[in-house]
Amino acid sequence: MKKDYKGKIELIENIALDTYKMVILSDLRWANPAQFISILCGNKTMRRPFSISDFEKKEKESLTTILFKLKGEGTSYLKNLKKGDEIDFLAPLGNGFKIENKKSLLIGAGIGIAPMLFLKKELNEKNIENFLISGFKNENEIIKGSDKTVIGGSVMDNIEELIKEKNIELIYACGPKVVLKMVDELSTKLNTPSQLALEKVMACSIGVCRGCVIKLIRNNKIQNYSVCKDGPVFFGGEIIWE
Amino acid sequence: MGIEKLKTVLKNEKTNNTLILKTPIIGASGTYGYNIEYADFINLDYLGAISTKGITLESRLGNDGDRIFEVQGGMINRIGLENVGIENFIKEKLPVLKEKKIDFLLNIAGNTIEDYEKLALIASQNEIKALEVNVSCPNVKQGCLEFGLNPESLFSLTSKIRKNYKGFLIVKLSPNTSDIKSLAMAAESGGADCISAINTLRGLGVDIKYIGNKFIKKMVQGGLSGSCIKPVALYMVNQIKNAVKIPVIAMGGICKLSDLFEFILAGADAFQIGTANFQTPSICTSLALELCEFMEKNNFYDFETLKGAILNG
Repeated sequence: MKKDYKGKIELIENIALDTYKMVILSDLRWANPAQFISILCGNKTMRRPFSISDFEKKEKESLTTILFKLKGEGTSYLKNLKKGDEIDFLAPLGNGFKIENKKSLLIGAGIGIAPMLFLKKELNEKNIENFLISGFKNENEIIKGSDKTVIGGSVMDNIEELIKEKNIELIYACGPKVVLKMVDELSTKLNTPSQLALEKVMACSIGVCRGCVIKLIRNNKIQNYSVCKDGPVFFGGEIIWE
Repeated sequence: MGIEKLKTVLKNEKTNNTLILKTPIIGASGTYGYNIEYADFINLDYLGAISTKGITLESRLGNDGDRIFEVQGGMINRIGLENVGIENFIKEKLPVLKEKKIDFLLNIAGNTIEDYEKLALIASQNEIKALEVNVSCPNVKQGCLEFGLNPESLFSLTSKIRKNYKGFLIVKLSPNTSDIKSLAMAAESGGADCISAINTLRGLGVDIKYIGNKFIKKMVQGGLSGSCIKPVALYMVNQIKNAVKIPVIAMGGICKLSDLFEFILAGADAFQIGTANFQTPSICTSLALELCEFMEKNNFYDFETLKGAILNG
C-alpha cells in the first residue's frame, strides 16, 4: 500500500561529482524498478521525487537506496542530512517497468542510471540476459555498475549497432528528455519495444494536482497522463513529445 | 476522540439554507482530485468535506508546457482547469463518492453565464448538496476572471445560478481585486449562502541562471498558493466578514493549528486546506485531530464555543 513513511538515513555518501547515494531504513515492504519515492525536503512546498536504485527487504524493515545529483534547494537540503536523520517519504509511487523475459538493453543517461541499477539486479536474479549502457558528461561524474560506460559523447552513439549485434528484444531507458526521445524514435524504427522512465517536476506525486502530465496516444485517443501516477514508465510509440 | 465536537453548521440566516459538516476542515479544490485519490493515505472521516477539482461543462485537457513552479513559501500553478467534464463526473466519479459516503462540494467553472447555468441545473438534478462556484480562476484566458472581478457581473452570475440551484451555494472569490468587499456583497445579494476565499493570487515564477556563456531562463505565470499568501488571505477574509452576514470558508496558506485560530479571529467559519496537502497528504486529518485534542484539553464544548472564545474572549 502507498503510504507516508518515516524512515531513517542509514548511509549518505558522495559517490561522484555533485552526486550522492542515500540509503533509507524504513518499513516499506516492496518496490519495483522505476518506482519512486517522494521526499519532504525541510519546509519546501513541493516534495522531491527520486527513483529507487536499490531495494533490499529485511525481516521487518527494508533498505531503500536513491541516487541524486545536486540541482537546487531540495537536493542541497538532502545532501546536508546525516546518518540517523529522519526522512519523510511517500512510497512506493508510480508503476515500475514491466519486466519481460527478453534480451534487454538498459540505457541510463546521467543520473538516469538510478532505476537501471535496480532493474539490472532484478533481471539478473531472474536470469534474463541484459546489457546496461550508461553515459556521463565527465570522468568524475561516473556512477559505477554498467556493462559499458560512455564518457563525453552521447550514450546513443552506435546504439543501433549494439542493438543489432546483441539481438536486443526490449529496451528500457531513463535519462533526460532528449535521450528518451531518441530511444523512442530508434525503438519505432527498429520495431524493438521500449519502456521509458520519465522525469517531471511534481507537486503531489500521487496523481491529484495534474502538475506533471504528458500527452499520450493510447487506444487511438490523445489524453493526459500523469507521470507520477500513470507513469513514470511509458511505452515507446505512445508519447507525444512537447 | 470526540469528533462530534467539531460539527460545523454553515447557515445563511436569511434563507435558512444550511450545510452541516462533520468538521470545519475541507480539502480545497484542485488539491484533492476527485476525492478518491487520497484514500490510500488518510482516513477521510475527519474531513468536513472535500471540494472537487473544478468541473466544466466539457472535459478539458488543461495547459501545455510547465504547469507548476515552486517559489519561496509556496508554488505557482497553471494547470488550466484540466477535468473530466460534468457528464463524466456524474457518470464515473459521483457514484464512487456516494458509495464511499464522502461529503463534497462540487466545484464548477465556466466560460459563459450559460455554462454556469447549465452546470447548476445538472447539480440540481443530481441532488448535489453543495456547490462551490469558481468565479476567480486566473488560469483561463476567457470568462472566469471577469465574472469574479466585477460586482455587477458577479451579482448577475450568482442570481442566475441561484435560479437553477436550490442547494447550498458557495461563491469562491478571487483576491486579485482592490475591492473584495463589494464582490462579497454582490455575491451575497445575488443569493450566495456562503463565501469561500481566497483563490490563488496572480504570480510569475522566474528561473534564470547563467550557465556556460548564456542565460538559461524560464517564466511560469499562474496562481500563487501556499503559506506565503496567508497574510493576504487573512486580510481578505477579514474584509469579507465585515461586509457580509453569510458564513465564510477561509483558505490561503493554512498548514497548522495556529493558522486555524488566526483565521477564526479574522472571520472564518470553516477552512479549506490546499497546497499543504502536497507537503503532507495527511494534513487535513491531523489538523482536525489536533483541533479536537485542543478543544478537549481546554474544555471547549463545541466548535461554536471555541469560535466565541476567540472572537469575544
